[in-house]
Amino acid sequence: MRLECPVCGLPVEVPDDALPGEVIEHDCGTVLEVVHDGDGVKLKPLDDIREDWGE
Amino acid sequence: MVLVIKVGGRALTSNMREIVKDLASLAEEERLILVHGGGDVVTDYSRRMGIEPKIMVSASGVRFRYTDEEELEVFVMVMAGKLNKEIVSALNALGAQAVGVSGVDGSLLLAERKRRVIIIDERGRKRVIPGGYTGKVVSVNKHLIRTLIGAGYVVVVAPIAMDQHGTMLNIDADQAASAIASALSADALIMLSDVEGVIVDGEVIKRIGSEEILSLARSVGKGMNRKLIMAGEALKSGVRRVVIASGLVKRPVTNALNGGGTVIGDA
Repeated sequence: MRLECPVCGLPVEVPDDALPGEVIEHDCGTVLEVVHDGDGVKLKPLDDIREDWGE
Repeated sequence: MVLVIKVGGRALTSNMREIVKDLASLAEEERLILVHGGGDVVTDYSRRMGIEPKIMVSASGVRFRYTDEEELEVFVMVMAGKLNKEIVSALNALGAQAVGVSGVDGSLLLAERKRRVIIIDERGRKRVIPGGYTGKVVSVNKHLIRTLIGAGYVVVVAPIAMDQHGTMLNIDADQAASAIASALSADALIMLSDVEGVIVDGEVIKRIGSEEILSLARSVGKGMNRKLIMAGEALKSGVRRVVIASGLVKRPVTNALNGGGTVIGDA
């Protein structure tokens, strides 16, 4: 499916089977997150998530 | 010397006797803090209780345990209970004065709970999921550790921290050991596991300079890469020497102090 980048407005190709939370790196440099809400599938800029882990 | 030793679960379960014998002997001269892992034992007990562990891979390729609420309960029971007390009793039986704590006791390890994490999912795609009960260590109660080691105790630490709300969190034992070593400006951080050191092309690398750490972390296997990352953080924080070595040999800590394994740092 083709959605619009919320930052640059250009189209973004998103796999049809994309799950909520899926991370898409757009050509404009923005890292986007797939969100599903009542109106369907949308994209939003991904918050800064630094990595850590447990034992 | 102040020595912080991290022992992985596999080395611990298969070579406990040699490890504690070496520590009990070293404790006569040195001040020791032992941080233990034990993920495999937690996995075993989780399965016995009908809870299938969720092992995931982070965006940078690090394998980690995804800890939900019921797995956290098992984690705390096994780490702060069974494993920690087995080590403490084994040390005490050999004449060392050992005391077992988790990061919760005396607020030893405070952590920031991870709200969300990025994983590589089963389709090989990056995805954001809730963070579960894991966190990153943000402070160490070094006064408590200094008090205990100053009084001659060997401190045995289970890798559990708590956040500012008192929620217990599963933390990476390598990270806990690195944070404690950094807080104490330890003379050495010794990381013992079931391999001989950092291995590239089948050979143990004897020394890694601090500028090589990040590039090597990308080329070594999952598990070893996070040890290298933690080693780098400890060195930056003033720890004099980090050694990654085998926990499966005789006198494994002494072996690491005498040049066994991989020495990391420029000193």
